[in-house]
Amino acid sequence: MAQALIKADNITKKFGRRIVLNNVNFEIEKGDCLTIFGPNGVGKTTLIRILSTMMSPTKGDVIVEGQKAAMDPIKVRRQIGVISHNPFLYAELTAYENLRFYGKLYQVSDIDNRIDELLELVELSERKHDVVGTFSKGMMQRISIARALLHKPTILFLDEPHSGLDPHAAEILDNTVKQLRKDNTTLIMATHNLDKGLQLASRVIILSPKGIVLNERANNIDASKIRQVYLDSLRN
Amino acid sequence: MRFSKQIYALVEKDIIAELRSKEILNAMVIFVIITFVILSFGLSDILKANLKVDLEAVLLAGILWLAFAFAAVLGLNRSFVHEKDEGCMDGLLLAPLDRSLIFFAKFISNLIFLLTVQFISIFVFAVFFLKDGFYQKFWILIAAIILGDLGISAVGTLLSAIAVNGKARDLLLPILFFPMIIPVYLSLIPLTKYAFLSTAKLADVSGLMQFLAVYDIVFLVVPFIVFDFIVED
Repeated sequence: MAQALIKADNITKKFGRRIVLNNVNFEIEKGDCLTIFGPNGVGKTTLIRILSTMMSPTKGDVIVEGQKAAMDPIKVRRQIGVISHNPFLYAELTAYENLRFYGKLYQVSDIDNRIDELLELVELSERKHDVVGTFSKGMMQRISIARALLHKPTILFLDEPHSGLDPHAAEILDNTVKQLRKDNTTLIMATHNLDKGLQLASRVIILSPKGIVLNERANNIDASKIRQVYLDSLRN
Repeated sequence: MRFSKQIYALVEKDIIAELRSKEILNAMVIFVIITFVILSFGLSDILKANLKVDLEAVLLAGILWLAFAFAAVLGLNRSFVHEKDEGCMDGLLLAPLDRSLIFFAKFISNLIFLLTVQFISIFVFAVFFLKDGFYQKFWILIAAIILGDLGISAVGTLLSAIAVNGKARDLLLPILFFPMIIPVYLSLIPLTKYAFLSTAKLADVSGLMQFLAVYDIVFLVVPFIVFDFIVED
């Protein structure tokens, strides 16, 4: 087995006395598409926040390319992009200003061309100089896709990315994710949408309040079994 | 070099957003002017009386910094609201930059907003309160404003980052902020007093300026150590 690109090593997260994640362990190889299923409130977003170095675990480590992420989080963050249900965009700035701002933080070279390229990808070139506060939720999410891809991340986290998307925005997201999959980008998606999640997954994890109840390669297990385990985890 | 470009990007973003929304600057300027108007009427009899020069100078310094402190709270209260409400703080936490730079950039933005408000309102203050001519020792006023604003912005930015996560954030910041800047005001008002006295000498103000400088340094260093913990959870 190849060296894991990302390894969750005994990750535990507590908020006060409440244990949100308890000894979570798994590995992801380069180019994998891991889908994390689980009901609301089970800790999917917390897990994504910990894996993407936004938040520190109470116990355990995130290991990226054999090195603890906490040792050099800035290096890890350069490789990471996140598409969340929250677009991380400033309502008073235009689409271009938002993307240029994040581009500067990530030190993206030839930033204007990269912005044009991404706005074309998300089909919002004509709204480049419009203030983001005037955009619909779907349009904001499309700009958010562009924001996440600005620095050409090799690892992309998607946290409930289809939440609140109109069909057009969802189609753009799905096409982008498929293309990234072809480009060997490692994808980690948290969702409770079984159909969307299973379309792309090469590995599936089901998270329940008790912890991980299933961790399998998607081709080793059929969709009906995954559905069954998922539904059982909701009932228990 | 990399750090300076990232700080520049963060400050530029704050300034563009503020110039477009004007929600911080408008509120601060209007508040300061209203305070000056109310105090000029309320204290008119006292100001017309033949007070001792020293006493009048303290009164003027108190009026000036009373208005500036409350205006600063108005602005500071809003400083992390966009990051919190629009979820942009997560975007910043994901960026490959030292998190203390987020504090430092926000501190610079708050300092710029505070200085802008003071630049506008100081003329209004002169119209309402100064009898003859302008300030006697203008350089002392400039030093007081710079040293005071550094401390107010540093403490205020740090506390604003803490308060923004609270449910009653609008109430929490003043409760935390005013006790923390009492030491600044204990030096700042006597220092500003000398700006209105023609007899002021460097020896009168050097101790006060040194105290403010030390306070500023402490509250610029502490956030660099603790800011990561404040914003993470």
